[in-house]
Amino acid sequence: MNKLLKTFLVVFILGLLAGIAGYVFVYNKPHTDYARAKPELIVDARQCFDEFVNNRSQAEQKYNGKIVQLTGALTRIESNDSLSVIVFVFNEGIFGDEGIRCTLLPGYKVNSLNLKPGDRIEVKGLLTGYNETDVIMENCSLVKP
Amino acid sequence: MKKIIGLLIIFAVAVGSVEAQKYITKTGKVRFFSDAPLEKVEAVNNQVNAVLDVASGDMVFKVLIKSFVFEKALMQEHFNENYMESDKFPVSTFTGKVTNISGMDFSKDMKYTAEVEGTLTIHGVSRPVKTQGTLESKNGKIEGKSVFTVNVKDYDIKIPSAVVKNIAETIEITVDVVLEKLSK
Repeated sequence: MNKLLKTFLVVFILGLLAGIAGYVFVYNKPHTDYARAKPELIVDARQCFDEFVNNRSQAEQKYNGKIVQLTGALTRIESNDSLSVIVFVFNEGIFGDEGIRCTLLPGYKVNSLNLKPGDRIEVKGLLTGYNETDVIMENCSLVKP
Repeated sequence: MKKIIGLLIIFAVAVGSVEAQKYITKTGKVRFFSDAPLEKVEAVNNQVNAVLDVASGDMVFKVLIKSFVFEKALMQEHFNENYMESDKFPVSTFTGKVTNISGMDFSKDMKYTAEVEGTLTIHGVSRPVKTQGTLESKNGKIEGKSVFTVNVKDYDIKIPSAVVKNIAETIEITVDVVLEKLSK
């Protein structure tokens, strides 16, 4: 009986510890490493923007929340103290430029400074949606150059 | 014919002056903060679209829900999938007005208290909002700031009972935008 109780206790404690470890692991699981993650979709930046403009709901289903790799000609980089944004402009709307805006991961801020308008670049990141003027990408990294 | 050309010129000037009164940003910041008994949760969105028409006081904010970044990945996942249902409701908007803008002169570096009224749409639910903020003109730009609270229940956001002590019923929203004159 004692042996049975002992075994039960050991199994119970091990189970409890595994449960706590599992909870702590899931609770603290790291964010996706977007710079290393494989893109789910590879697309021309202009085509991606046009898909959102022409059929928003269909494009949202296809792209929102996905890791997307875009190829296109850089229009400009907007930088301030806290972030750098790669901007592709494809349209002129009533509130100015419209296109795709990609916030770079902090590590890519310095790299982005070597780029010139018109350079062909490949940017990868999490596409978070379309706000009726721009398609927004977050956690972006430069694949090329 | 001359009359028509004259009218067209007046129309073009009028349209131009209206456009010149718009200030915009695409890198506005919106932060929310939940202070619950078991946990403090904070998230920031750095790519918020905002427009302010300094003539009429009209303002519009557009916030993509998936652009909110959390410290913990699990929280970000739950926020998008369970609470905000961001696939179904990808954008939150605020459409409103600075009701006392007529007394403000943005040609000088000044700071004003702004009375703001409008409609806030979160999770597909639109509700009236009335709050205060500040508008400060500095070097040709306008910095807008506001802190207000929203009740989670008002926007039909369901918090499971298991995590009810992890998420506050009232969420503090902080808005910080630097608006630049729209040049065309």
